[in-house]
Amino acid sequence: MFGWTSRREKLLEEFENHLEIETQENIDAGMPPEEARHAAMRKFGNMLVAAETSRRVWGGVWLERLQQDLRYALRSLIRYPAYSVTLIVTLVLGLGCVIAMLAIVESVLMRPVALPHSSRLVQIYEGEPQGTYASSRAISYRELEDMRRGTQSFTGLSGFNTMVIPVGAADGARVTELVEATPDLFATLGIQPGHGRLFGPGDEKKSLIVINDEFWRERLHADPRAIGSTVKVSGKARTVIGILPAGLHFPQGTGGPAAYLPISLSPAGEDEFTYESASIIARLKPGISMHQALADAQTVFAHAGPTDAISGARPKTALVMVSYRDSITGDMRRPLLAILGGVIVLLLIACANAANLQIGRAAGRVSEMRVRSALGAGFSRLLQQLAVESLLVSLFCAALGGALAFAAVAVVRHAYGSFPRFDEIAVRPAVLAAAALLAILVGVASSLAPALSIRRQATGAFNTRSVTCSSPLPGILVALQVALTCVLLVAAGLFIRTLRSLENVRLGFDPHNVTTLVLMAENQRQDTELSRQIETRLLHRLEALPGVQSVAMQTEVPFSSYNMSLNGTTEVVGRAYHDGDSAFYSLVSTGFVRASGIHLLKGRGFLPGDEDSANVVVLVNQAFVEKYLHGRDPVEANLRFHRDRGETDADIPFAHPMTVIGVVENEMQGRDLAAAHEPMVYLNYLQLPKESMLSLVFNMTAQYAVRSTLAPAALAAEMRAAVRQEAPGMVEMSLGSMENGISESLGQRRLALRLVAGFGMVALILSAVGIYGVLAWSVALRRREIGVRMALGSSRAGVARLILRRAGTMVFFGLIPGIAGAWAAGHAIRSYLYGVRTLDPITLLAVGLLLLLVSVAAAALPALRAAHVDPVETLRAE
Amino acid sequence: MSTREANQNADGQIELLQGTLDLLILQTLAFGRAHGHAIARSIERRSDEVLQVGHGSLYPALQRLLKSGLILAEDGISENNRKARFYRLTAKGRRKLSAEASRWERFSNAIARILVPVAEENS
Repeated sequence: MFGWTSRREKLLEEFENHLEIETQENIDAGMPPEEARHAAMRKFGNMLVAAETSRRVWGGVWLERLQQDLRYALRSLIRYPAYSVTLIVTLVLGLGCVIAMLAIVESVLMRPVALPHSSRLVQIYEGEPQGTYASSRAISYRELEDMRRGTQSFTGLSGFNTMVIPVGAADGARVTELVEATPDLFATLGIQPGHGRLFGPGDEKKSLIVINDEFWRERLHADPRAIGSTVKVSGKARTVIGILPAGLHFPQGTGGPAAYLPISLSPAGEDEFTYESASIIARLKPGISMHQALADAQTVFAHAGPTDAISGARPKTALVMVSYRDSITGDMRRPLLAILGGVIVLLLIACANAANLQIGRAAGRVSEMRVRSALGAGFSRLLQQLAVESLLVSLFCAALGGALAFAAVAVVRHAYGSFPRFDEIAVRPAVLAAAALLAILVGVASSLAPALSIRRQATGAFNTRSVTCSSPLPGILVALQVALTCVLLVAAGLFIRTLRSLENVRLGFDPHNVTTLVLMAENQRQDTELSRQIETRLLHRLEALPGVQSVAMQTEVPFSSYNMSLNGTTEVVGRAYHDGDSAFYSLVSTGFVRASGIHLLKGRGFLPGDEDSANVVVLVNQAFVEKYLHGRDPVEANLRFHRDRGETDADIPFAHPMTVIGVVENEMQGRDLAAAHEPMVYLNYLQLPKESMLSLVFNMTAQYAVRSTLAPAALAAEMRAAVRQEAPGMVEMSLGSMENGISESLGQRRLALRLVAGFGMVALILSAVGIYGVLAWSVALRRREIGVRMALGSSRAGVARLILRRAGTMVFFGLIPGIAGAWAAGHAIRSYLYGVRTLDPITLLAVGLLLLLVSVAAAALPALRAAHVDPVETLRAE
Repeated sequence: MSTREANQNADGQIELLQGTLDLLILQTLAFGRAHGHAIARSIERRSDEVLQVGHGSLYPALQRLLKSGLILAEDGISENNRKARFYRLTAKGRRKLSAEASRWERFSNAIARILVPVAEENS
């Protein structure tokens, strides 16, 4: 490179020339040729030093040395393929996992959302600072208007509600994501139209709609005349005025078709979907911090909204402001960071392994290093050479690991694209740069230990070649690996136990052979009584289908995503009302108890005779009895909705008292198997008073749980036919087996288990490699000692025991901190656990045994090799 | 590395300081082009064999001068009919030489004035 070699050759040639002239002169002066040559050389001095000093004048020495080192490193790696492959596999696994996870974290948590200046977009809620999107309260349209007018910190402040309802296009009505927003939403977000125009102030009353690129492609088949065409929402025709640019999604997270329409408010402050409140997204003015903006909004909010005497100002809690990015992926933050932590542990294990492998290799290179040291290489020069070798390996591994990460990320994006922002996951240059940096760090870190061990040995006395040098460092590193592996395996064990317990949770509802059908009225403003009649007709029709055993209609079906229940303040007659006494109310059909398979613990279920009775009868669950009817006979107890001071009968679902006729076991609520059971009241939907505001439910979703032994496909076809006939105005939201729903609900935990168990297995393999590596090298180094021992009468078994004991010691000293670490890790993931304690003895025992077994297996080969050392041969070699 | 330990050896020959060697080379080349051996010989001869150049140490100095553009190297044929590398001054080198030479003269005159009595006492 750079012609250094030819320049050096030319210089040496010049030296030779010089010597010849001098020699000739000496001969001419009368010296014998031999002596003449020697005199010339004496006069010239050290030729190599002269060449080296000249070489230094040219510059770039370091580069040439680097080149030498690289060439040397490559050669020595190729010479020991087993060592190189183990080292490379170890580091590729470690680095690949970290790069993949870094890419995911960067894409999901750190990358700004793809909206102009998205770092200044914030969402504002009323409620708990720790609360997630779902647990916070939206802000009413009136308060929103007041805040828009009163605050100075925002360039825009808009409200929006997202719903999933039927939207009709040329291809019929299909369930679609619909966003209703205040007209300034697109201005606040800074979105420009892809085609047509977007709505803005003044468009409130107009029947128009904006669609996204996916809607245009999937629902309108990319029709070039889409703008001006008509889309039907809630029975109202709306004209498409614009299409969002491709790749732009709001709210972020869903990649599917979506439509946007402007909110128009009634004089009562309700929009056409009878919502009174909305989520707020706002854009901070440049230079205004979130802190300042929050204070500004808080001041206005405290006095915002209706203040008339009748309703009174409702009590207000503090506002919460979160950056838009965090509001999308805030829930993912902790799990993702936890996984990143696990992966970094894995990398540390890989690092320890690499260090151990190199220490072992260094032990074999001590004599080489001694020779180099004797020839004048300083320690720093030796260190440089080792570091170059190590860096070469780790950068190469980072490149392979990067490729692995690309593949892994593609798999994750494909498999979990439904998680918010997971569709955006990619390995980006920043991550690659971080990976390169990490590789350099890993390279330096893992070459440090071997370099130190070489320093100690290579600078020692020269003729100690045959003495066994043992260092405690490899053993300590292996113990560390065992500890980290233990942590990962225990975490995996806890997840396995959690899944086991969840699968055994009593659902209340027997999910066997149940198909869940969810429908939604296309027109959400039709008469609620009509909806109730249609839904009842469909219920009877489904019950009459051949092969169907029973059908239940419930506003809350286990594992449905469309559950609705009312959290109502509840007063039990004969029991003093305390603030906050409430229960969840679910509407069910008459055949509920029989159809769901829920156990009736006391009293009776609903009877057809109840349907028209003026006396409202209800079933309650065990949790309700425990909370409100403890020590009483629950049957015949009376309940009613509690009216707060200042509220009229119109403010509560209905004023009729309710009589308990029976008690059922606790039923799964919602989608989370691990959720605690809340007090529930089951109400026959036919008994719900007509004028009750709850009857709006009939215009929303209707959920049927059909129990049948028919083949799923045949049943689905029959059910769809029944819907077409009896309820043509209803759109299918979902249709599927309840058991599928159960396994889907475990999906996130299963994913966590798969990841942690995967990491645990990789860690276990790495640890086994580490144990094997250390023992194998130790046996190789101690051959002579072992030979002497055997010559002195030690048996083969005794020698094998010696090696196994070393393995046992390493594992033992790893398990102690490992168990402590596992306890801490269990504590950290306790919110994901169910039915298992953070320090679970069974898991610990299983993990301990597994580790012991694996380490014995890893130690077996070196122990066997030690047992087969031939004492005669080793002693003869002396 | 090991050639720097003494400035004066037993024979009363003075080993050269680095900058001085550069100056001597330039001075030698002022008379025309020369190859390495000729330069070494010339320096020895013109200093009555008092200034002893370790011939090897001439070459790093030549590389240094080449790099700073004070001299040029060209291939040619030596007096004994061999291929050799010849060096000659560049215009820059000539300017450098005259500047350095006058500076050196002033400096050595000054040293000489100070050291004369001592030197006489010693000799």
